[in-house]
Amino acid sequence: MSLIKKTILYYLLLSLPLLLIAGFISYFLIQNDVRESTDESLWKEKLNAEKIIKSWKEPQTYYLSSDSLSKIIVENTNTKGHFYSDTILFDKSEQENINYRVLYNYSQINNVNYQITIIRSSLESDELTDGLLFTLSLILGFLVISFFFANLIFSKILWKPFYKTIEKLNSYDIKQNTLAEFETSSINEFKKLNEALTTMTNKIYSDYNHLKEFSENASHEMQTPLAVIKAKLELLIQSQNLREQEMQQIQAIDDSVNKLSALNKALVLLTKIENNQFVNLSKISIQKVIDVQLLNFESFIQNKNITIQKDYQNEIIVEMNATLCDILIANLLQNAIKHNIDGGSINIIIEKNKCNIVNTGLVLNAIPVELFERFKKNDSSKDSLGLGLSIVKSIIDRYSFNINYKYEMGVHSVSVLFANDIS
Amino acid sequence: MKILIIEDEQELRKSIKQYLYQEGYIVESASDFPIGSEKVNDFDYDCVLIDITLPGGNGLEIIKQLKESNSKAGIIIISAKNSLTDKITGLDLGADDYLPKPFHLSELNSRIKALLRRKNFEGSKTIIFNEITIIPEERKVKVNNNEIDLTAKEYDLLLFLIVNKNKVVSKNAIAENLSGDFASFSNSHDFIYTHLKNLRKKLEEQGCKDYIQSIYGIGYSFKTL
Repeated sequence: MSLIKKTILYYLLLSLPLLLIAGFISYFLIQNDVRESTDESLWKEKLNAEKIIKSWKEPQTYYLSSDSLSKIIVENTNTKGHFYSDTILFDKSEQENINYRVLYNYSQINNVNYQITIIRSSLESDELTDGLLFTLSLILGFLVISFFFANLIFSKILWKPFYKTIEKLNSYDIKQNTLAEFETSSINEFKKLNEALTTMTNKIYSDYNHLKEFSENASHEMQTPLAVIKAKLELLIQSQNLREQEMQQIQAIDDSVNKLSALNKALVLLTKIENNQFVNLSKISIQKVIDVQLLNFESFIQNKNITIQKDYQNEIIVEMNATLCDILIANLLQNAIKHNIDGGSINIIIEKNKCNIVNTGLVLNAIPVELFERFKKNDSSKDSLGLGLSIVKSIIDRYSFNINYKYEMGVHSVSVLFANDIS
Repeated sequence: MKILIIEDEQELRKSIKQYLYQEGYIVESASDFPIGSEKVNDFDYDCVLIDITLPGGNGLEIIKQLKESNSKAGIIIISAKNSLTDKITGLDLGADDYLPKPFHLSELNSRIKALLRRKNFEGSKTIIFNEITIIPEERKVKVNNNEIDLTAKEYDLLLFLIVNKNKVVSKNAIAENLSGDFASFSNSHDFIYTHLKNLRKKLEEQGCKDYIQSIYGIGYSFKTL
């Protein structure tokens, strides 16, 4: 529920009892006022009646109204004074009970006791209730409508900076390497919110950058001791009096150093891709990159007796960073060669903006989607780092391309959909 | 041939020094920017190895300094930062090569030799060893004056072994030299063996002695002694 709707709801919930109380109070006030004014006019009529009596030569019974309800009669009691009372009479013409206010007055004029009865229809309580209810619901209705529109307008004006801030937050991407900037507002609360958000995002931004710098530096710093180990091992194998077993241990160390170094390089590369550090774009023909990379891998392909089949139906030209394009294609081809079988085949099919690399290979034991995660690999390939496909994935994500992987009956197929084919 | 190593990591400096000394070079070293800068200023070198991140300054400044004094020294950047920008800036400033850490000493040696050869410091651009003649500019190899037809990888392999002659060169070093970043292929050792077998056969066909020795299965050595 939006803030506006909620506000209106609360206003309504609050105004309902308020209106009820106001209704009760006004009901009694109005009733009281009406009674007083009725009584006043009854009193005036009584005074009139007394004037009439004074003009008489002898006492008589006198009807003051045509329905004979208001009347002057001669009364042989000694009661004096007056009182008011309410009474309900049935009105024949309207076929309903009607409320009446009656003034009974006993006065002695010219030594004769008279009872003066003056009757007048008074305001009916149910009519008053109806009227009040009607007025109150009218007020309620007006309140709802005016709340709604007022809030709508206020929210457009007052909440504008708030919605702007939300929009800013939504579109903010820390990887864009910019600080988030929030507009200042004349409303204190929003001003404070924006200030707090600015402080927070700036902190996150600087922490992020420190972390980024740290991981980059850490990886770089690691290369120097690795270089020392590598150099020392190489000097060690020059030694004349090493036995075969020792030499092989040295080789195992050298292998591990190489692996560590490759791992490090791959992680730095991943960080760089994710940090958007490959910015220069150029127009690249995917076919050409594939052909160049196939040449690079020629000896490995020959070594495994792999047959390459190319089916280029059209040319794909994409706008991307040349280094990343090389890395992308090299990684895909490398996988197709590495996980291939002796005497296997690789089919490269290009149609429209889709590039399919289909290769023979061993059974896949891992879950395909997981292969794109870091350090996930098929257990049959112990020598691989498990980072190749996550590098591929981060490049694909970087340019909003699409990648699909399928394994069926000894055939692995990877297809890349280039989103920004501009050929 | 005089070589200067400007590198702050002591053990790495010592190792490089030792390897190059065995190759017959006169090797000097500097451990930080001021010493390096001073040495470059005071003496002439045929080749300078420069680390970019140095205590007291940036190695790129030394390259500038060398170029401003019209030095003919070959410059190789050895950097822990495998960064494309550093590489491009370094090469733009006039460095001749860029070797990211960690590297094999045999690879460094082969890069230095190639650089010195290009600069014609060793008098000749061809490498002659007994019956073998290598003409790097044309990527040609002659045995007893008969040209032999080698594949690109076989040629690289022969050149790499010959520039590191009498050294034990590990298969990892060869794999890196031949395939660069793709050396991590699991079957790279097999494929070195295949190339070496073919190379040996082609050399022997022209009556070349078998100089290449396998060392306990971990590497090879081009033995001339």
